[in-house]
Amino acid sequence: MTKKLKGDFFLLSANELQSGKVVFYTKKGWLPNSNKAIKIHRDDLSKYDDIFKKDEEKCIIISAKFVELDESGKIKTLRDKIRDSGLTIKIK
Amino acid sequence: MYKYSNIDKKIIADRTKQFQNQVERRLNGKLTEEEFKPLRLMNGLYLQLHAYMLRVAIPYGELSSTQLRKLAFIADKFDRGYGHFTTRQNIQFNWPKLPEVPEILDQLSEVEMHAIQTSGNCIRNISSDHLAGLTAEEVEDPRPWCEIIRKWSTFHPEFSFLPRKFKIAVTGCLEDRTALLVHDIGLRLIKKNNVIGFEVFVGGGQGRTPHIAKMIRSFLSKKDLLNYLEAILTTYNQLGRRDNIYKARIKILVNELGVQKFKSLVEKNFVKFSNEKLKLDKNTINDIFNFFKLPKLKYSSNKLPISKNKKFNEWKQQNTLPHKISGYSIVLISLKPPGKPPGDADSRQMQELANISDDFSFGEIRVTHEQNLVLPHVNNTQIYQLWQQLDILKLATPNIGLISDTICCPGMDYCALATARSIPISQKIGNNFKKYFDQKSIGDIKIKISGCINACGHHHVGNIGILGLDRNGEEFYQITLGGSAKEDAAIGQIIGPSFSEKKLISAIRRIIKTYRKNKKNASEDFLSVFRRIGIEAFKKDLYDNTRKKN
Ligand code: SF4
Repeated sequence: MTKKLKGDFFLLSANELQSGKVVFYTKKGWLPNSNKAIKIHRDDLSKYDDIFKKDEEKCIIISAKFVELDESGKIKTLRDKIRDSGLTIKIK
Repeated sequence: MYKYSNIDKKIIADRTKQFQNQVERRLNGKLTEEEFKPLRLMNGLYLQLHAYMLRVAIPYGELSSTQLRKLAFIADKFDRGYGHFTTRQNIQFNWPKLPEVPEILDQLSEVEMHAIQTSGNCIRNISSDHLAGLTAEEVEDPRPWCEIIRKWSTFHPEFSFLPRKFKIAVTGCLEDRTALLVHDIGLRLIKKNNVIGFEVFVGGGQGRTPHIAKMIRSFLSKKDLLNYLEAILTTYNQLGRRDNIYKARIKILVNELGVQKFKSLVEKNFVKFSNEKLKLDKNTINDIFNFFKLPKLKYSSNKLPISKNKKFNEWKQQNTLPHKISGYSIVLISLKPPGKPPGDADSRQMQELANISDDFSFGEIRVTHEQNLVLPHVNNTQIYQLWQQLDILKLATPNIGLISDTICCPGMDYCALATARSIPISQKIGNNFKKYFDQKSIGDIKIKISGCINACGHHHVGNIGILGLDRNGEEFYQITLGGSAKEDAAIGQIIGPSFSEKKLISAIRRIIKTYRKNKKNASEDFLSVFRRIGIEAFKKDLYDNTRKKN
């Protein structure tokens, strides 16, 4: 999973197995928003590979991915921003 | 309306139980995600950006009030109070939780609904004309044929792992409302020498390589329908590519072999494998047709009421069609009010609409592939009262077939595959062309929007197609012109460089301006003008103006 990644810093994100909700890896485990997520340098990515694999095995999360940050430390791509902050539209 | 047989009921009950067991095993770790994913997909359960999504089949777009009430209940109890009607006459719930999905399926089975074959490389929900059985020009009601195909294709052992997904549409009219020619198989009922049979088209599709389906049989006898479908699917199953997902659809096979070669292979398989058991006899056909009789409608000379209410008159003009039984109308309910995601209905709307359909339309509702709903049999004397009730529910937007009646996929707001958002574009179009008079003066036009090249929003066949792209992390939109999903189906032509989200609406305005400028008379619609003057005239106006503005 780490091979194709560009950029220097990342967050680790996934979906909760039960609810499908987007979560980010923090010091306190998986939480629903990115504010408290651990900022990971690309040299450390493989350490976090083991973390998410274990939590996938424990049936806590699925579909883990590293979310790229831009130079100012914000989530880079629109897709990841929408994953983090939710729908950009009013639904009802 | 079709009623489940005991076999149907057993199939659904068994499958629900089986899936419940699979979910339990997934939750307690006995199944890995890799093992579970194909199982959940077989039951219509996807993982999207923010949550799971459950796609529920609405066979040939037909719903009873009881079923719609159940969908409202599911939206409230298990989701966030709304559902999304799709371009293949299905409904999607965007926020179900995995442990609750078996219960949702159980609830659905109570009203003879399910999510089987709404995903995966199998034969998907059979789609049809939302006006099936309602119009005078129809050769024959296509719904019984859809049901016959549904029965045959459900859990078909040979066609459960096709090279790729497979979509079939059936229509009974020359005027096509099913997007027949962009389906893997399109079946059109026709009458030749007083005998009714099918024209058979294959190899239509959209996605990254759009193709218009080609005719391989100009007349197929009804009794041979299933054997012939079997021959097409067998040919595809044997020769369709499994090595490259982008080349796996039947359209690629038909194109690579050439239509004549493909046709001769199908005809050979038809002779070789034809099976007496699959031949349809009159009794079997009649039994199915009996489910689709019209309700008891009384002929009358009642016309639609005349009123001084402007809003009602606009709606009446735009959202009603004559029923084949004099004295009744077909009412089209727009799910595209300005500012709302196209195709969405909230649970209150669904609940109330179920009640309304009981009161006004014999408890029947249809779903269109253009993401609207239909009340099929409304007595003309009740139309005004019906409109009042729909208006309260915000279900009386008078825009069917007009510019704000856009088709739109969920795009990047929901979909993990998207390259850009599509719903905000549709909302902007709706907000920019709000007034009925303006829309009416533009006339019939189809704008179709997809959030990626997979084309679930049918952009290839939009008169104006909009495809969301990711250009270095920014959303851009490519415009195509001249597409059509109707009987004169055509793939739209790319007009030129794409537009940023900010500039897109003014680009659409300029395209509309060019159309207005070149319109010969009030009734010449967008597509006719496009076909007459060609893309260059539009291109010149669009990009000359863009340069000036920049
Ligand atoms: S067209 Fe693309 S973005 Fe839209 S629903 Fe289909 S896969 Fe998702």
